[in-house]
Amino acid sequence: MQNIHLIEALPKVFEERRTSMKSDVWLQNLTLEKGKLYLVEAASGTGKSSLCSYIFGYREDFSGQITFDGKDINTLKVHQWVELRKRSLSILWQELRLFPELTALENVQIKNKLTGYQTDKQIEEWFDMLGIADKLQAKIGRMSFGQQQRVAMIRALCQPFDFIFADEPVSHLDEGNSNIMGQIMMTEAKKQGAGVIVTSIGKHIDLNYERVLKL
Amino acid sequence: MKLVWKLLRQHISIGQFAGFTLANLIGMLIILLGVQFYQDVSSIFSSRESFMKKDYIVVTKQVSTASTFGKSSAFSRKDVKDLKEQPFAKSVGSFQPSDFQVSATMGMKDLGVAFTTEMFFESVEDEYVDFNSSQWSFTPGQESIPIILPRNYLNLYNFGFAQTRGLPKISEGVISMITLGIDIRGVANRAHYEGNIVGFSNRLNTILVPQSFMEWANQEYGTGNPAQPSRLILEVYNPTDDAIAKYFKEKKYETEDDKLEQGKTTWFLKIIVMIVMAVGVLITILALYILMLSVYLLVQKNTTKLENLLLIGYSPARVAMPYQLLTLGLNVLVLIIAIVLLVVVRAQYLQLLQALYPDLLIGGISTAVMVGVGIFVVVSLLNLWAIRQKVATIWKRKD
Repeated sequence: MQNIHLIEALPKVFEERRTSMKSDVWLQNLTLEKGKLYLVEAASGTGKSSLCSYIFGYREDFSGQITFDGKDINTLKVHQWVELRKRSLSILWQELRLFPELTALENVQIKNKLTGYQTDKQIEEWFDMLGIADKLQAKIGRMSFGQQQRVAMIRALCQPFDFIFADEPVSHLDEGNSNIMGQIMMTEAKKQGAGVIVTSIGKHIDLNYERVLKL
Repeated sequence: MKLVWKLLRQHISIGQFAGFTLANLIGMLIILLGVQFYQDVSSIFSSRESFMKKDYIVVTKQVSTASTFGKSSAFSRKDVKDLKEQPFAKSVGSFQPSDFQVSATMGMKDLGVAFTTEMFFESVEDEYVDFNSSQWSFTPGQESIPIILPRNYLNLYNFGFAQTRGLPKISEGVISMITLGIDIRGVANRAHYEGNIVGFSNRLNTILVPQSFMEWANQEYGTGNPAQPSRLILEVYNPTDDAIAKYFKEKKYETEDDKLEQGKTTWFLKIIVMIVMAVGVLITILALYILMLSVYLLVQKNTTKLENLLLIGYSPARVAMPYQLLTLGLNVLVLIIAIVLLVVVRAQYLQLLQALYPDLLIGGISTAVMVGVGIFVVVSLLNLWAIRQKVATIWKRKD
């Protein structure tokens, strides 16, 4: 996938604010291109997570159009979405969407076994780099949110992707860990030539963003 | 898959699934037992004489005081024609009696132990006797005559004669190998033949010989004035038809055997088995309903997990699979246990049936097993479909 194109897209809940809407994303003609790095800055309640949900086919409550390489995403079939989620689109959800019943390693493996993309060695190395190597076998439910965010990032990297979305990835991380996470993500994205979209409500990873969009 | 199962087995209620398994097992077992029992028992009621056509009735006229004093109890041509025209009658044949005297000897004459009885021969058209022509035919000059004996004769010998004389009992197989001495005394001549027993009949109280023999022998030994048939053989479409009994009553005809009663018994048996099976089907449907509720509840409780699996790239089919395998496994288990229980229960009632009907023909359980497999397939397909549908609603987030 080369680009994601938003054409006059607007969450339906914002419909009554249509005329007064001032946003770089909503109601615009915006193209997100593969290989570029974007920061979407937003105050809470401006539809940041909605944007991610639309692009991942999780929700459809928007007007306007979103296309992948010119193809309207509302016309995509279930199996096409499954393939996209496995091969083209990766995301670190704001609410993480980890499985509390599984250990940190199992949470990563459940994805990696599906895609078979990363080696166990690479995964363990990332755990080590992010300072949670001792948590490999810990149940996610017993880990802090900051630690969980790091596990979720590792999981997001366990697949091939053309675009990676990181929805407030470092909200609960200190600067050190936040930088390491940024580094890991960018290394992997560059390796794949992928586009990166990071959202933030203030605190964000310090990276060389090519475009900053106000939501 | 292991990890997915580890996730999705959360919230599985053992109680609910045990309830489903038990209910499904009971439903399945009732249906299978119904099928099997009907199959086993119906052979008792249906005719066991493979060599006779299925639904036939032997008809006689009532013997009244008048007939004792000369009024004929034979059927006239008009009677036969009238009977043939009845809607319940498929075909009518008449018993042709012998116009000569016959006595049969059974036993071992050489040992001085013989059982002789005066009797008469009768024949019916060959179409009512289901033997191939080589077995059931006679050409003049032939020494032996194929005959069908009433089973009573054998019983009389075994349980009367042989028992009191301390002689060994003879099975049907053995007696079929022994020939029967047949002595014919005609008006002018007499002859000795060998009777070759080809079958035993419960319902024909006569010694049946081929039509071809009868026609020849009546000419050879008879008075030239053969008797009118006093018995008719009537093939009907449905022995339970009320019209038959009504017609017989009106005409003052009687049936020699209990075919009509048997027909009714078989009919009642069918109804009872159908009621029992309907209960089985109902229980199976309820079991299916329980399972569906349990699976729905389970999917509901695990909605977030299922949703997250779908979002990280698992397909709905893959997510549905653990639950589908679970129900499939339970269904297989139910099928196997039901078949095992069927075999066990059947062994119990077969003992009883065999004690009551020693010569009961016992078939296999293949039909019941096939019905079981059929139910398994239908129930499983419904389960698989319903689970898939439920997962699809999670994908569409429509609840």
